Amino acid sequence: MDSTTAANLLLTGLLRGGLYALMAVGLALVFGVMNICHFAHGEYYVLGAYAAYFAFVTYGLNPIASIVIASLLSFVAGVITDKLLFAPLRKRSKGDWVINAFLLTAGLSVVLQNVYRQVFGMRYRGITSYWEASVEILGLTVSADRVIAFCIALLAIAVLWVFLQKTRTGRAIRGVSQDEQGAVLLGINLNSMHTLTFGLGSMLAGLGGASLLSLSPAYPYGGNKPLIASWFVVTIAGLGNVQGAVIAGFIVGMFESVSYFFLGPGWQEVASLGLLILLLLFKPTGLFGTQIKSVWER
Amino acid sequence: MGQTTEAIPVRRAQSRLTLVAKLNSIGLSPPILACLALLALAPLFVKDEYILRLLVISLYFGSLAMTFDFTGGYINAVNFGFAAFVGLGAYAAALVAIHSTLGAWAGLLAGALITGLVGFFTGILTLPLRGIYVSLMSWFVGMTLMALATAMEGVTRGSRGLIVPSIYPNATTTAYLYILLGLFLVIYILLRLILRSPVGLAFRAIGQNYDAAQASGVDPVRYKLLNFTISSACAGLFGGFYAHYVGIVTPDVMGMGYTMEVMALSFIGGSGSLLGGVFAAFLLILCSIRSSA
Repeated sequence: MDSTTAANLLLTGLLRGGLYALMAVGLALVFGVMNICHFAHGEYYVLGAYAAYFAFVTYGLNPIASIVIASLLSFVAGVITDKLLFAPLRKRSKGDWVINAFLLTAGLSVVLQNVYRQVFGMRYRGITSYWEASVEILGLTVSADRVIAFCIALLAIAVLWVFLQKTRTGRAIRGVSQDEQGAVLLGINLNSMHTLTFGLGSMLAGLGGASLLSLSPAYPYGGNKPLIASWFVVTIAGLGNVQGAVIAGFIVGMFESVSYFFLGPGWQEVASLGLLILLLLFKPTGLFGTQIKSVWER
Repeated sequence: MGQTTEAIPVRRAQSRLTLVAKLNSIGLSPPILACLALLALAPLFVKDEYILRLLVISLYFGSLAMTFDFTGGYINAVNFGFAAFVGLGAYAAALVAIHSTLGAWAGLLAGALITGLVGFFTGILTLPLRGIYVSLMSWFVGMTLMALATAMEGVTRGSRGLIVPSIYPNATTTAYLYILLGLFLVIYILLRLILRSPVGLAFRAIGQNYDAAQASGVDPVRYKLLNFTISSACAGLFGGFYAHYVGIVTPDVMGMGYTMEVMALSFIGGSGSLLGGVFAAFLLILCSIRSSA
């Protein structure tokens, strides 16, 4: 393996890892705060991709505006979903919340996929690129889209980190994830925190879908791959561990690009799944073995 | 003299009653028998091929939902890789049908056995896990199976799929309906008998409260493995039927979408009810023609 191949693998892994991290952070946040095993996360990714496509192609907006609009729309969609589905369930559910919420998201995923199919049809809606440029890194030419998508992902994660650490609302969200009853005693409105969290999680997914539009076109079933990838990441990090999800995102990205090179497309999947099964078997709490309910805590 | 002539109809009525009770005990209460008879007689009245095919598909998905419910509804472990187990059975049946002369039934049996074995090992993998982690683990096992089916091109022809001959030459849709009805009846009665036995009670105890069941002497390891093995084997059997009926097996049949469909049917029908999923399948699939027609 020469240095160009190594650089190529490294770069692919990094660029991929950044977006995995972005998707997984949303998933981990939703699990950590709301205790929902979110299986419709990919559908918000697709929603973001569709929104960005229509904003960029149909309305001819500039790329950044399209991506911002797409993520805002995903946020709104997340808020609506929570108000319509999860808030009523939260009110009625007692001990079996985790499994009920999980089933609800599974159903939601089927419904949304079929809605996309009805509304947008079974065709791929993609663009060749947002920016017609390419960047040279480590002696390799990479399309500007990928680099910018990576930067957007890192920026979003950084902003989220600052939000959770520094603002009152962010602290409230972390409080809810640590101890719901304690949070209520401090006068935190649980319902609005849950809604906000779900909106944020969906926004991160939509942001991912929108910024990757030139690489993976919008398609009704396009959410399955990112969903599976982000579940990998979250499982490796430990469910609900947001900080770990960022690191695990890069681990998965690197592992995929390296094993793809050595094993080829088919066996690469088998290898990563095998590793995941071993991990679950010996360390079900994930690599960063924190408690399940923890969002950015040391 | 007068007494004996009166006694005969009484005895007849009694024997009829015991027959009903016997049928009841294997899960065939009169309404269910009526539904089965209706389904069995359907080909006599329905000549439309499309409707017949829909009936087969409904019964097929209903059977899967029933099998799924055996695990999901009783020991409360949602097997999220269910479709992959079905697909494994389909692949096993297809390979036996293609590479040997043992006949389709041997293939179905092989599918059930292999899937049962894999189910057993999945059960072992999920032993240390609880709740949602069991679902995750079975999902990953299912995805591994699917990835293997795609990657092992020498055996499975990858995503091009295996072409499977029909179950016997010139089998009609009606024939498939009767075969599936037979399989369904056998599996239903089997599952029903298991659930009514002490084993079924143990399943329910584990599903309702794992720790309490363990504390009162139910060995969760044994029953969990038993349950996983049985439900996987049944899934493999129906998968084998699917392979012959549809005529092609691709890795797509192992995908998450099918698991979701089966899961939805079983939960709509009511978890812990076995037949609920079957009724849900007929209702939903027959409704879908109304809306698309």
